[in-house]
Amino acid sequence: MRPLDETETSVVFDKLFKFVGNNLKNLVENPSHEGPEPNPGRYCFRLNKNKIYYCSESLVKRATNIAKPNLISLGTCIGKYTHGGNFHLTVQALNLLAANAKHKVWLKPQSEMSFLYGNHVLKSALGRITENVGAGDGVVVFSMSDVPLGFGIAAKSTQDCRKLDPNGIVVLHQGDIGEYLRMEDEL
Amino acid sequence: MEIEGEKMFEVDLGNLMAYDSHYTIPSQQSREELVKECLQKGTELVQAIADSLFTLPSTEDVDGPLVKLPPPTTKLPREKHMPRPRPPTKWEEFAKKKGIIKRKKDKVVFDEQSETWKRRHGYDHANDEEAIPIIEAKPTDDPDEDPFAKRRQDKKGRVDKQEKNRLQNLKNAAKFGDLPSHVQLAATSLPITGTQAVQKKVTKDELGNVAGIASTATASGGKFDKKLPGEKPPKHKGKFRKFPPVAPPAANGKVTGPSEREQTEKILNKILSKNNHDILNVNKAVTVHNVKKEKNRRSDKSKSSATDKKLKPQKKPFKKGGSAKKGNPKAQ
Repeated sequence: MRPLDETETSVVFDKLFKFVGNNLKNLVENPSHEGPEPNPGRYCFRLNKNKIYYCSESLVKRATNIAKPNLISLGTCIGKYTHGGNFHLTVQALNLLAANAKHKVWLKPQSEMSFLYGNHVLKSALGRITENVGAGDGVVVFSMSDVPLGFGIAAKSTQDCRKLDPNGIVVLHQGDIGEYLRMEDEL
Repeated sequence: MEIEGEKMFEVDLGNLMAYDSHYTIPSQQSREELVKECLQKGTELVQAIADSLFTLPSTEDVDGPLVKLPPPTTKLPREKHMPRPRPPTKWEEFAKKKGIIKRKKDKVVFDEQSETWKRRHGYDHANDEEAIPIIEAKPTDDPDEDPFAKRRQDKKGRVDKQEKNRLQNLKNAAKFGDLPSHVQLAATSLPITGTQAVQKKVTKDELGNVAGIASTATASGGKFDKKLPGEKPPKHKGKFRKFPPVAPPAANGKVTGPSEREQTEKILNKILSKNNHDILNVNKAVTVHNVKKEKNRRSDKSKSSATDKKLKPQKKPFKKGGSAKKGNPKAQ
């Protein structure tokens, strides 16, 4: 376990910024009230075996007791830092993203399952979408009852969606809560 | 050869050497007497050389008279043995067995292609198959095969085979300790001395780097060493990356370098400031304008499609909780 270095931090922040926009500030400066320490620390990012974790400082302090090879996980795993120097968000980051999401998409109930099987979001599945989503922005996918289902990358901007044919892809799938079942071993 | 007084010395001026071939060292003498006698004899011989030197015709120089020595007459034995005969190569053995005699060939041969005389080997040589631009196809040819690629491949194969044979012959010769002198100098860089890997030539830069690393192998890490001209400082000081401490330091703890908080703050500000032109969202303004225009058009037509209504962007930002339905009554 170690803190991220400068390049790693900027790669992770860039990716998170795509999804949460200026709320990234809240994410980084999130005070934590865990642990017995009198002064509340913050949440911070830690890298352990190419996975990036979001955890409170008090937890980090206690996790230092565990040797690196023995440490399986701490806090919330939000993604993987690849060997090539990219950052991939994983589905565990969904709660974090959903709470701070800048761009959202709501799915119709009949097409929720399709998304949870790992398919892209089609125009016909779209219930609602926040305005001024640009192509390439990160969007969080919700069910109509406001349950976060996953996240992805907008393939089309909101304006373009209006004129899209029903089979066109609106959101490119990146992660969904179905992965907890489908890819249990990998998570 | 010169006769000096009653004694006869043989003087070889070319080697500046004189000796008495008739002299025998008397046995049964004490060591001191022997040394004395040797010195005396030596003096006589040197005197003989000097005498004969001064009889030679001389030219005057600033430093004194100069003479030209005659060629030496005494033959000295050579230091190294005569070169041994090279063991025959595979081909030479074969040729001897078959009775093939090496014959001189002309340097130039007639080139059928250009109908001129050209060199047999080397650049622009005669009957070069590489220079044939068109290869006639035969019915037996494989259509998937590129004949030009095959030709190149074959040529390369032949060259490689010859190189392999050459090295094998050299390896044999090395076993007899009889490499040609020009190969001997570079023998370590050829795969013939048992070590299969070809040794890489060390470049100047690499040498400099190694010297830099080696210079740190002192108690002070090379700090007080005198640097040679052209010597580089070691490339890596050992530390590649610096990380802030894993756990946040205690309130009274010392921290060297930028703390994690400072680092994240810096990067966060950089990202936020890079994207802070969101205050005036041009895209949003365009969308609002477009929506208004479309509404006007639709009201003109007094007809609208159902699907477009569903995708109408919200006026209010979405709120969590029970207001979901209220927020967009048109959906569903």
